[in-house]
Amino acid sequence: MTTKALLAALVGFGLFSSGIANAADPVRIGFSAARTGLFAGAADGQIKTYELWKDAVNAGGGLDVKGVKRPVEFVFYDDQSDPGKAVQIYEKLITDDKVDLLLAPYGTPAHIAIAGVVERHKFPLVGNTAASVKLRELKPGNVWFTTGQMPDRLAQAITDLLQAKGFKTAALLVNQLPFPLESKSFLIPALQKAGIELKINEEYPPTIKDMTALLANVKAANPDAVIAFAFPADSAIYMNQARELDIKAPFQFLEVGPTEAAFAKQFGDALSGIVTMGHWSPDHEQWHGAKALFEAYEQKYHEPPSYLNTPLVFMSCQILAQAVAKVGLDRDAIRQTIASDTFDTVNGPVKFVGVENVATPAGLLQVQGHSMALIWPPSIATADFMPKPPWPTK
Amino acid sequence: MLPPTCDALAARLDNPQQNGLAVSALLSGQLLFAALVVGSVYVIIALGLNLVFGTMRLLDAAHGDVVMLGAYTSFWLFTLVGMPPLLSMLIAGGLCAGLGVAVYRGLFRRLLADTRLPRRLEGNSLLVFFGISIILQNFAALCFDTTPRAYLYLDGVIRVGNLAMTENRLAELATAAILCVIIFLFLRFHIYGLAIKALIQNRQAAAVVGVNIERIQLLSFAIGFGLAGIAGSLISMTEQITPFMGFPFTIAAFVTVILGGLGNLIRGMAAGMFLGFVEIYGVALTSSSLDSVLIYGVFIVVLYLQSQDFLGGRQKS
Repeated sequence: MTTKALLAALVGFGLFSSGIANAADPVRIGFSAARTGLFAGAADGQIKTYELWKDAVNAGGGLDVKGVKRPVEFVFYDDQSDPGKAVQIYEKLITDDKVDLLLAPYGTPAHIAIAGVVERHKFPLVGNTAASVKLRELKPGNVWFTTGQMPDRLAQAITDLLQAKGFKTAALLVNQLPFPLESKSFLIPALQKAGIELKINEEYPPTIKDMTALLANVKAANPDAVIAFAFPADSAIYMNQARELDIKAPFQFLEVGPTEAAFAKQFGDALSGIVTMGHWSPDHEQWHGAKALFEAYEQKYHEPPSYLNTPLVFMSCQILAQAVAKVGLDRDAIRQTIASDTFDTVNGPVKFVGVENVATPAGLLQVQGHSMALIWPPSIATADFMPKPPWPTK
Repeated sequence: MLPPTCDALAARLDNPQQNGLAVSALLSGQLLFAALVVGSVYVIIALGLNLVFGTMRLLDAAHGDVVMLGAYTSFWLFTLVGMPPLLSMLIAGGLCAGLGVAVYRGLFRRLLADTRLPRRLEGNSLLVFFGISIILQNFAALCFDTTPRAYLYLDGVIRVGNLAMTENRLAELATAAILCVIIFLFLRFHIYGLAIKALIQNRQAAAVVGVNIERIQLLSFAIGFGLAGIAGSLISMTEQITPFMGFPFTIAAFVTVILGGLGNLIRGMAAGMFLGFVEIYGVALTSSSLDSVLIYGVFIVVLYLQSQDFLGGRQKS
């Protein structure tokens, strides 16, 4: 399928109707982007997804603003992965650039930092790449989050899967960053409640360069499940050294990393069987546009999208677009629409209660062969969990 | 309430089973291999930094970014033309050495020739290299975008008894060891190596006995940057590559070099290996949550114990 056809398919599932008038004035949409700094590598997928969405909308004639199609134009600045700079940028976008709409910055810290800005200006913003129970403490009304992977819900999903598959023992390895630590704080009581014995419970700093000692202990404990609340850099270290030490647990979970294209390139067959967090699959037949998103992204960027961030980012754009199509650019009306409506997205229906998306469940993905399968919860799964096959030796 | 790291240490001390596991691992050879791999990377990266500082008193804060360029060179050569990194590291080393020559000629040659500036040189060089670091990072981000890159090379696992070694980590260790031997022999026996050592020991005396100072400075820049590029190639076999991956390597190199003595090349190499052992065996004996505490704790203790020697060494040079 051609890129144009794919882009048309992406926006062709009910967001836009034919015969609406065209207007030349662009809709200016602002955001801050972590182009440099700590999150630059991880945030690249977010920016690419924004660009893909813009291309798709413009290929379909423009953004439907209450019956009038207008081209989309981005106004964005590099926040250098600094939440403080993101705050300044959103102030500028609202007061100086006077953008019509806002998209989200990258990462939980930046989302929390700018919440005060959008609240003060009563400017609605749909967040995407953020997950923390602390988000629930934000004042609802102008900010919402698309993720279903809040740490408490994620911990419960992992526990439910372990229990359903009859696993009795686990080893827990935790990067000392906020999201993994939050996940740990909910996982331990959930495992205890489910009667799953925790044989290893270790934390490590984000700067860790080698896990040999840690994994030697895991190997000796021989648990049914290894749950590593790890970020991409340490997930890669785990992959190298778990294979070297031949960790045999049938359930091996890495929190963030395996959904990124670089992991498949770096680890090939060794990645098969690894479980990670995520609640999206392009193979889910009821989610309109999911397949088209996968194909359009792959065609534009010559690599598959992240199963974690790409759908979250695209959903946030879709929600905003559907609200604008219904009520135009009036911020009060957009706010009321987002707070009350149910939205049709590439990850299924989305409904907000307070700041949180309550329609999308926390999910688990598993690399099966060379593709990614959605394995949990059963209500949205596209495949069954499979025990991790032996690590390839060659 | 105890801080989390103390909790972890207390839990480890109260848990003989885990201590037992760590002790058995200590004897397995697996930790020795891991320590040698980590240490060898520190050694190679720090050696380049130390050469530039030792001969010219320039603090290369962009050293990790040169490592990044070396990593990207091997990644693209592997991805586009299938060239193995063990070969492309020579190209990466050459390109980075060329960059070193350009930086020296373009930015530092006149600065170093000005006898009124030596006191300000260290501080100024730090600022200049920070600027170079930012330029290199953003150059890479613009050219390659910020998506993490990786490739699969020598991913087999070699098992010798209970010891398991991934081929790429073994290649990393072997290459680093060969490089160390070459550099050691070069410094000890080659006329230019001896000239570099002479320049490090006493700049004025080296000039008096006929050492071509400018040529040796240029050579040091080329070797220092070239080594960083080769280190990047080796690292690219096992780690993901991004434009911003360099900073932790710069920090590791500075810690290693300061531990070994700024400008002291052989002690710097020993310090790199020592840090690798502290990191791996320290974690095995205590807790992984103490990783940074161990490294910087040792760093501070060694600095404290050697402060007189350290200052004396600098005054002599």
